Amino acid sequence: MAEPTPKQVLTDPLVNNNPIALQILGLCSALAVTVKLETSLVMAIAVTLVTGCSSAAISLIRTEIPSSIRIICQMTIIASLVIMVDQILQAFAPGLSRQLSVFVGLIITNCIVMGRAEAFAMKNGPAMSFLDGIGNGLGYGLILLLVGFFRELFGSGKLFGINVLTPATEGGFYPQNGLMLIAPSAFFLIGLIIWVIRTIKPEQVEAE
Amino acid sequence: MKPEVQKTFKVAVTLCLVCSVVVSALAVGLKGIQEEQKERFRQQSILEAAGLWEDGEDPSELYAALINPVVVDLQTKSATQRYEAGDKKLELESLLRNPEMFDEMTQEQDVAGIAKREAYTTIYEVREGNKKTGTLKTVVLPIRGRGLWSTLYGFIALDMTAATDGSAGLKVAGLTYYKHGETPGLGGEVDNQLWKDKWPGKLIFDDSWNVKVEVAKNANSDYQVDALSGATLTSNGVSNMLKFWLGEDGFGPYLESVVADGPTPGPDADSPAAPESAGEPAESSTDA
Repeated sequence: MAEPTPKQVLTDPLVNNNPIALQILGLCSALAVTVKLETSLVMAIAVTLVTGCSSAAISLIRTEIPSSIRIICQMTIIASLVIMVDQILQAFAPGLSRQLSVFVGLIITNCIVMGRAEAFAMKNGPAMSFLDGIGNGLGYGLILLLVGFFRELFGSGKLFGINVLTPATEGGFYPQNGLMLIAPSAFFLIGLIIWVIRTIKPEQVEAE
Repeated sequence: MKPEVQKTFKVAVTLCLVCSVVVSALAVGLKGIQEEQKERFRQQSILEAAGLWEDGEDPSELYAALINPVVVDLQTKSATQRYEAGDKKLELESLLRNPEMFDEMTQEQDVAGIAKREAYTTIYEVREGNKKTGTLKTVVLPIRGRGLWSTLYGFIALDMTAATDGSAGLKVAGLTYYKHGETPGLGGEVDNQLWKDKWPGKLIFDDSWNVKVEVAKNANSDYQVDALSGATLTSNGVSNMLKFWLGEDGFGPYLESVVADGPTPGPDADSPAAPESAGEPAESSTDA
């Protein structure tokens, strides 16, 4: 395989190798935080930052990390970054921080972060690893925003908390779809997104 | 020791040190702002319990405009002027560290699972018209008690407008929690707006000030609120802390005296501090 260019590293995870749609990673938080676009956006930014920075940091010291304790070293770095994100959110966006509740802390266990650290950052330079992390975070964020868009629009008739389809409860015409407010709807939406992507790009379909 | 093993230890220790220094520096640096945000959220919870909160408002401003904090002596069960509301000495942590400022609860008394009950606490009044002298509308009481994993801290607001009917007329105006560590999705659902919406209008006492309000499975009376599914212990915790804080050892006798006085205007805010506190330094708070 030819050496990937920085652009490929950054844009490949968006559609071609999307962590949620192709690798089916990080679903748990994708179900939990996508009721509203606002929380989806914050979560997307948080994961992108953590993945980018942790990949860069791990790549920077990859030659020093003894292979016998490499997973725990990666976890330490990722956990530190997640705590930092959590603390910053608590200080500057306490409302959002309460809505995201445990899911910020659970970025630590998000397979995407670990996966990129182990699969890419341990073998590549810091700059490329950073781009790879950012790219994967953006790929994750893209799906989150798509799902969040549909769930908030059809579930509450709003986008970023602003009425788009004025809901019936507020005197409008739109009867909210309660299904969209509960987690299973995110499964359906992610399934539909995967279907669309694989129809456009048949090479993503797994061999039978 | 083999050199590889030495190196492993060296890397592990260095990495841990660097990470912990960075994390603690950030945590310490942001502490001030976080504390401020917590206080704002506490004020928001008071307003929410009283039914005065609207999204997008500034909690501190609204609090300053509408809420009249009153210090209550839980030993004599009466309002006191010994301390100003907002006094640093009245913060729960410092009260519970000073043996003269709390009472140990016996096992029978301690239904809420708090072990120590502070001697002084601050309650929050909402009055019609003038903030300090208008007719009493709502009283917001601080409550706390054990759930499953943690102590829950919150507020219950009582609607005092029907107090002329005696104890049976008092109704819940709202219940909110601002701090707890219950399982998100189960016990953590005490924060769920749908559940909180079930509280306003519930009756609290029978005719003789016995606490009747409770969280129950299949709630079917005006005293009962549906339990949280999958969170029996948290639900019981909520029942127990209401029983304690509204009962004999909590605010019960104080409420009784407030109702007995009738819906009279509050104490004249301009009068000098009551005699008991005049000229008495705060250190002499040991006569409890």
